[in-house]
Amino acid sequence: MFRTLLGPFARFFEFHAKTHYRAERHSMALAGGILLAASIGGFIEIAPLFTIDDTVEAAPDMRLYTPLEQAGRDIYIREGCYACHSQMIRTLQDDVDRYGPYSLAAESKYDHPMLWGSKRTGPDLARVGEKYSDDWQVRHLADPRALVPESVMPQYAFLLDTPLETESLPGRLAALRAVGVPYSDAQIANAASDAFGQAMPDSDRAGGVLDRYGEETNLRIFDGRRDRLTEMDALVAYLQILGGLTDLAARTQPARGEN
Amino acid sequence: MIKRLTIAERQTAMLLSVLIALAGFAMAVIGRGDPMGVHGWIVLILAGALFFALASALYEPEPTEDRAVSYYDDPTKVGILLTLVWAVAGMGMGVWVAAQLAWPDLRFDAAWSSFGRIRPVHTSGVIFGFGGNALIATSFHIMQRTSRARMAGHISPWFVLLGFNLFCIIAATGYLMGVTQSKEYAEPEWYADIWLVIVWIVYFVLYIRTLARRNEPHIYVANWYYLAFILVVAVLHIVNNLAVPASFGAAKSYSAFSGVQDAMTQWWYGHNAVAFFLTAGFLGMLYYFLPKRAERPIYSYRLSILSFWGITFFYIWAGSHHLHYTAVPEWVQTLGMTFSVMLLVPSWASAGNALMTLNGAWHKVRDDATLRFMMVAAVFYGLSTFEGSFMAIRPVNSLSHYTDWTVGHVHAGAMGWVALITFGSIYALVPVLWRKQTMYSWKLVEWHFWLALGGTVVYVFAMWNSGITQGLMWRTYTESGTLAYSFTDTLVKMHPYYIARAIGGAMFFVGAVIGAFNVVMTIRSVGHQAQQLDYPTGSEANEPAVPAAE
Amino acid sequence: MSVKERDPLTGHQTTGHEWNGITELNTRVPRAVWFFIAVTHIWALVYWVLMPAWPLVTTYTKGLLGYDDRTRVERQLMAANAQRADWTQALATLPAEDIRQDPALMARVAQTAPALFGDNCAACHGTNAAGGPGFPSLVDDAWLWGGDTATIMETLRVGINAPHPDSRSSQMLAFGETGILTRPQIRTVVNYVQSLSGRETQADAQQLAEGATIFAENCASCHGENAMGNQDIGAPNLTDDFWIYGGDDAAMFTTIDLGRQGWMPAWEGRLTTAERMALTIYIQDLGAEQGK
Ligand code: HEC
Ligand code: HEC
Ligand code: HEC
Ligand code: HEM
Ligand code: HEM
Ligand SMILES: [Ca+2]
Ligand SMILES: [Ca+2]
Ligand SMILES: [Cu+2]
Repeated sequence: MFRTLLGPFARFFEFHAKTHYRAERHSMALAGGILLAASIGGFIEIAPLFTIDDTVEAAPDMRLYTPLEQAGRDIYIREGCYACHSQMIRTLQDDVDRYGPYSLAAESKYDHPMLWGSKRTGPDLARVGEKYSDDWQVRHLADPRALVPESVMPQYAFLLDTPLETESLPGRLAALRAVGVPYSDAQIANAASDAFGQAMPDSDRAGGVLDRYGEETNLRIFDGRRDRLTEMDALVAYLQILGGLTDLAARTQPARGEN
Repeated sequence: MIKRLTIAERQTAMLLSVLIALAGFAMAVIGRGDPMGVHGWIVLILAGALFFALASALYEPEPTEDRAVSYYDDPTKVGILLTLVWAVAGMGMGVWVAAQLAWPDLRFDAAWSSFGRIRPVHTSGVIFGFGGNALIATSFHIMQRTSRARMAGHISPWFVLLGFNLFCIIAATGYLMGVTQSKEYAEPEWYADIWLVIVWIVYFVLYIRTLARRNEPHIYVANWYYLAFILVVAVLHIVNNLAVPASFGAAKSYSAFSGVQDAMTQWWYGHNAVAFFLTAGFLGMLYYFLPKRAERPIYSYRLSILSFWGITFFYIWAGSHHLHYTAVPEWVQTLGMTFSVMLLVPSWASAGNALMTLNGAWHKVRDDATLRFMMVAAVFYGLSTFEGSFMAIRPVNSLSHYTDWTVGHVHAGAMGWVALITFGSIYALVPVLWRKQTMYSWKLVEWHFWLALGGTVVYVFAMWNSGITQGLMWRTYTESGTLAYSFTDTLVKMHPYYIARAIGGAMFFVGAVIGAFNVVMTIRSVGHQAQQLDYPTGSEANEPAVPAAE
Repeated sequence: MSVKERDPLTGHQTTGHEWNGITELNTRVPRAVWFFIAVTHIWALVYWVLMPAWPLVTTYTKGLLGYDDRTRVERQLMAANAQRADWTQALATLPAEDIRQDPALMARVAQTAPALFGDNCAACHGTNAAGGPGFPSLVDDAWLWGGDTATIMETLRVGINAPHPDSRSSQMLAFGETGILTRPQIRTVVNYVQSLSGRETQADAQQLAEGATIFAENCASCHGENAMGNQDIGAPNLTDDFWIYGGDDAAMFTTIDLGRQGWMPAWEGRLTTAERMALTIYIQDLGAEQGK
């Protein structure tokens, strides 16, 4: 029984060993064999993700990151927040109980690159948007241990004093459009002004933000400083939108019970 | 070293360094005000220094001996020294990273010193700086010895070695300035990525051309692994790094993929960086230095075939085990899990092949710390692949994912396997390369061995405890069916393990420093001894028939 | 060189090749290896048949069990809900007094609330709910909006100055910034307010009287004639020496100069009614325990 079971494996191997013995005298044959053997798996696993329809759910209410939020996302990447924070609530009961509805593919469909993370030294942030106040976020980033004594998170106080660089935002949005995020020409052209307006609700540049990104857009002084637009504004604006680009997850997943 | 090049070669090298310096200058000008500009200056200064070094030796006398009758070992020697420099830097950084998690204020009041920025300096420093240099240096040694032929070129090995180190320097300095694509193990930005592609193509051509000169018709197993390492890393690197720069004058770029597709591509890359960088390449090292040191034949050629093709074929499928229970479709997760488990057999076959090779040489393992490094490395290789396949099983991963258990697994592989096989190989290689009678101090090798082993064990046990504790706390429910612990509760529990890990890591680091010292002292103060038979020889081989199993 | 030799130690044959001194034996692949290959492959096959596994061009094999992660976790969550229903229902619907009288329900509260508080509230109000600069203590019995169960429940549901449609809203005006009060006037009223809670001030009686006038004209409308606060609009009592932002000169000056508008998130949507009730009872009891 055991022998018959193994028969095919052994015969296949015997054949393989013989061809191999001949092939290992030809470096290019070896190289070709390696490339072939190592291509199959990747192709079968990645290509269908672009062709199978229900891989990414349809989310008609999905909105784009505003230029300020995208700038914040770039700072999040720059500082390596993803090294400690995941943005992916798994389909596990305790993940859902702690962090909210499990993450859907649609929620990161405009994330180039995704920031799902691989380590939770700090909590998951997929739905941290609006969980705390701007003021808390600012103070927590400036000095985490002042608010959470047990924390091991680094201080980012310098963000409060660093003016946000906005000149490159049109270029960045254009690059994002090149990889598939549907920014309009107007959104790209006004990116720098919109970044300013979103964090300066009293300025005359604020109105355009709502026109271009929707009435729901958060229009606030995120860092508590009226005098200038800082990197803190951008990062907090980004944190406050996490989980808020679409409410598909909340709409489609059974609530944890309304009582 | 420059004197061992012909004047024409020196001129070619000068031309190349001018071209690179010009590219650096262009980056510095276009990238003014952006970290890319700083990188431009770094490139310009390094290439300029190389240019002047070459220029000052340009008209020194040419080499007179017939270079074809010896191996070309200069690049290997420099590669080994660079390996040690990166070992000390990368592992030192690791100790600091570990210390920051235990004592988060142990940093400077400056952006560059925060955890998120120095962590990738550690990971890239050890994987690419330490591991990459070790792979390049040993591959240069091994491709010549197993082919019994001199390397095919005098400029290209330097281009590969120094070009690769330039990539590492750009990577590490970039992270400190906040330049990163955030893709783990592929963090460097687009211009560094493009540069690495060029370096890698030259590496492949050099390898193939050297093999073409071989005097033994059959290509030895170690070379199969190095070939797989070079080829597959190239494919992975190119696909995963596809990105559109926001501007050609700045570092920032956006990945071509997003969301699920990006996640799958990233972990197809990330996992196979483990497979083809941290496994295949180092198996090549093991396949050469272990039998050589033990003076025993490889236990089974057939097992080599089975494990090589098993590893090459199965590993590629396993990447999605980094994405269990995520928004990636479940069918991919199933494939990732099942292939990871099937992968265990070829993995253990190669570990077993190495250990069985030691039959008849166990007394040497007992007496010779160098061989013991290799033996323990093979054991850790078996251990971490077993652990990996276990963690790839979905319910197990639901506990281990996101916790320190993963970090423990990483370091069982990275310290126990990758670093130990490298140190073992270096101790075996240094006396041969520099034509020395012996290492400066065998006592220090012994010390290094025990510090490395002890450090690894402390590190890995601390992380197992911490990871499993945290994973269990996250999912503990009260009788009422509600979560029992808050996230902060788990942080408090991690603290002692983080201290233990920092201590284990410090032990490992001290071992590495001792190793570097020992190598330097060997080069400086140990007496000369000619090696027997360490030169290219013609082949009088005649081909045996296809060997049947006995 | 490429002569097949026998390794004297094992008796196995070599392949006949030699690379710089390295040879290899041609030993058969051990049976155990074949065995484990068979076992792992068969296991994988079975798994592929039962679960979603292989991609086709626009779809994938769904597996015979017809089971996937999303349905599994949704069922688990529903089952957990059902299991908790006996007490969550009670917490969500019964009056607080009835809950307090039921030791079984109170045991549920004791098990549920600490971790909930830790994951959602401690970030601002501190692990022991004692607050901190900018975030009120919940155990000092000094309430902005009121400490009875219904009021706290409402505060938790809608938040304060939060994006919730029913959010409570309150604001301490920026008297300095808006030019209503001069800096010396602010300093004077600071001294006056400090004196109300028995704090030491350097002000003499005349200055205090001036402060009292400024207070009556500008502040009493919200904080009340006697500065005891007004819970209808969330204006704090200024006579009790419990401070959100601090009772020292600098903090109080800033409060009056630039104004304040605390932001407490709305928890409806994130936490269920039962969870909010558990938290309410928990913080009430925590305050009582710590002697108020
Ligand atoms: C060394 C690891 C580390 C790094 C790096 C880090 N964090 Fe944290 N973070 C933590 C830990 C631990 C906590 C939990 C304790 C606390 O709240 O401070 C946390 C908490 C948070 C929270 C509160 C989450 C919640 O639900 O309570 C936010 C928001 C946050 N971090 C954002 C960031 C951002 C943005 C960055 C980068 C600029 C960052 N973190 C970098 C470790 C880290
Ligand atoms: C983002 C920070 C933040 C978080 C998180 C937070 N709170 Fe608050 N909370 C505040 C602030 C600020 C106030 C005071 C608002 C003001 O100053 O007007 C407040 C006020 C309150 C009040 C009203 C106190 C009174 O005197 O009337 C209660 C009750 C309360 N919080 C309970 C909670 C509970 C329970 C949680 C967790 C579910 C929580 N808070 C989470 C910031 C927070
Ligand atoms: C429009 C109503 C309003 C008026 C007028 C007003 N206050 Fe307030 N005051 C508030 C509210 C509401 C808060 C709580 C703000 C918060 O918690 O975010 C507050 C808070 C304060 C605090 C901080 C209390 C603490 O615990 O830290 C002080 C001090 C204070 N007020 C003093 C004054 C003085 C002095 C004046 C007159 C010059 C004044 N207030 C006028 C509504 C008002
Ligand atoms: C001196 C010894 C070392 C110390 C103290 C050390 C410490 C650390 C620390 C603290 C982390 C971060 C873990 C976290 O985020 O929680 C880390 C990550 C990592 N280290 Fe090391 N390390 C050491 C040696 C090595 C070596 C030799 C290698 C590889 C050859 C290596 C490879 C890695 C990798 C790949 C990661 C990322 C792990 C992940 O993302 O899961 N380390 N190391
Ligand atoms: C059979 C072989 C192996 C398998 C199946 C395997 C499997 C796994 C799994 C399941 C994870 C955890 C993924 C997650 O939950 O996020 C992981 C992480 C990791 N493994 Fe392995 N492993 C294997 C061998 C190795 C070896 C030999 C190394 C050597 C250094 C290694 C290095 C790593 C690294 C660096 C990570 C961390 C990736 C990250 O940043 O998240 N693995 N591996
Ligand atoms: Ca990781
Ligand atoms: Ca890259
Ligand atoms: Cu993996």
